Amino acid sequence: MLKIRNLRKKFGNYHALDGLDMEIGGGALYGFVGPNGAGKTTTIKIMAGLLHPDEGAVEIDRIDALAYPAQLKEKIGYVPDYFGVYDNLKVGEYMEFFASCYGMEGLVARKRVQMLLAQAGLEDKADFYVDGLSRGMKQKLCLARALIHDPDLLVMDEPTAGMDPRTRLEFRETIRELNEQGKTILISSHLLSDLAELCTDVGIIDGGKMLLTGNVEEIIEKIHTSKPLIITVQENLPLAMKVLKEHPLVRSITVKDQEIMVQFMGSNKQEGYLLTELIQAGVLVRGFVREPGNLEAVFMQLTSRDKERVVLSYDGESDL
Amino acid sequence: MMGNPIYKRETMVSARSFRLALILLVFNSILALVALLNMYSALVQIRITAEIQYTSFLDLYMFVAVLEFVMLVFIMPALTADSISGERERQTLDLMLATKMTPVQIVTGKLMASLSTMMLLIISSFPILALVFVYGGVTLRDIGTLLICYGVAALFVGSLGICCSAIFKKSTFSTVVAYSLMGVVVIGTYVINQFAVFLSRMPGGSYAVSAMAGAGEGSSGGFLYLLLLNPTTTFVMTILRLTGQEWSGNGITQWFGFHSENIISRNWVAFSVIIQILMAVIMIRIAVHAVMPGYNNRLRKSNLCMLKERREK
Repeated sequence: MLKIRNLRKKFGNYHALDGLDMEIGGGALYGFVGPNGAGKTTTIKIMAGLLHPDEGAVEIDRIDALAYPAQLKEKIGYVPDYFGVYDNLKVGEYMEFFASCYGMEGLVARKRVQMLLAQAGLEDKADFYVDGLSRGMKQKLCLARALIHDPDLLVMDEPTAGMDPRTRLEFRETIRELNEQGKTILISSHLLSDLAELCTDVGIIDGGKMLLTGNVEEIIEKIHTSKPLIITVQENLPLAMKVLKEHPLVRSITVKDQEIMVQFMGSNKQEGYLLTELIQAGVLVRGFVREPGNLEAVFMQLTSRDKERVVLSYDGESDL
Repeated sequence: MMGNPIYKRETMVSARSFRLALILLVFNSILALVALLNMYSALVQIRITAEIQYTSFLDLYMFVAVLEFVMLVFIMPALTADSISGERERQTLDLMLATKMTPVQIVTGKLMASLSTMMLLIISSFPILALVFVYGGVTLRDIGTLLICYGVAALFVGSLGICCSAIFKKSTFSTVVAYSLMGVVVIGTYVINQFAVFLSRMPGGSYAVSAMAGAGEGSSGGFLYLLLLNPTTTFVMTILRLTGQEWSGNGITQWFGFHSENIISRNWVAFSVIIQILMAVIMIRIAVHAVMPGYNNRLRKSNLCMLKERREK
């Protein structure tokens, strides 16, 4: 659905985007995560045709978005990180105005507006002035506005910012429903916890570059195996070391008192086999644990300023 | 134009706004008050002298027309100077640009909505202008010419306002710049000409003015043609045509020294109308360019500062 290649954008001497690559498949619910100033909004604005990149290509549904902006605008629905409402327009008028911006007029526009307002739970607010709506309602209205032309790709920039927990849950549910209806959705946030449970795919951006991207489950699996196994041995430490050193899936071993930290590349099942091997060899194991991986932790590591990065592949040698 | 979503929205919103009703009331009240007082004084004079001075009714027409023109020129920047910058402040400009609306549609929609308001003001003042028909002396053609003059002035000043509104981010600043530029065009061109006349009348000054603008003694020379940009001059020339004082006599020659007649002076109104329409087109083009995504350098700079601040945090 969306392909971004080598996207670069400078503001003065500041590189907002520094060779960003990104790919989103059709029907995906993609979480676009990064700290403030990472380049999320710049990327989204380029996707929506509101900014021109200095370099790179954006392809939406095989259409070169930079060469054919008019076709791009039919494909994409944009929800910015602000409301952008006219306080002197009523809800229905606001929606009909944006319908007319896409060339929809009369009965067609009115029916589409009614349908979207019902979907957003705002059907009884059609005659209310937009200014009188609550924050949550305004956000729902903005979502309904972005869907007025039935786009294939919905791009949302920090849509849940400032929402109370209940509205946030309702909003997530709406997004999930839209995704189930076949819409490809990109949601940006600086809080991974916002998106971890919702999204099928995730991309972590920082400094204008994509640091990590892929399916959420695959990433969690990778993160899980990146965590060391912590084996606490009561007796026969040298024997335990011998077993571990000979094991093909062990990449490194660090020993501190009775505790062995092992970089183990195996799955949960292989972890079980390793424990059996240790016990059968006569090692008295008191503890055998691996910290569960979570996206939040990897996000913190990937986007931390001290450049400590989580290791997702193991080429290193044993510490012993 | 009727299909332009912005034009439709603007006209709908302004039609139900209290602001428009208030502008109409104040505008027409001032015009009516001045016209009726003028008429009353003419009638009193008739009673006292037992003579009918028909020129006083023509003066009434000129007086009302001048007042209307002055008000139009002052109201138009207020209507247009916050049109695009107001959208930026409400953060709705990007939303419109993200739709199939083009910058041309956005700018022309805004301008036409303001011009429609202006036309409403002009049309609503017809009954007051028509007072002069009670005594005659002004033809429908004269009124038509005056309307064209109003229309061109509104287009020119409106385009100036839209252009400032598209270039500057803040409505307040854009309004100040629009009024300042209008001041330069309306008063500045006049002052330049007067200064040139004054200079050319000084001993040896005519050489300086002559070197700059080819002027004769006691004349503003080529600086006169700067007045082609000035909608006030166009209006004054239109009004003077009614009294047959278009070029010589009480016209240009009296104010800016002797200027020989040429094709421009003979068709001053036509030339100035063409030039002002051309200027309006140029300003609209600039506004369209400024509305295009990613144009505004200052916005980019403010984005840059914002990003740096976030980074530092």
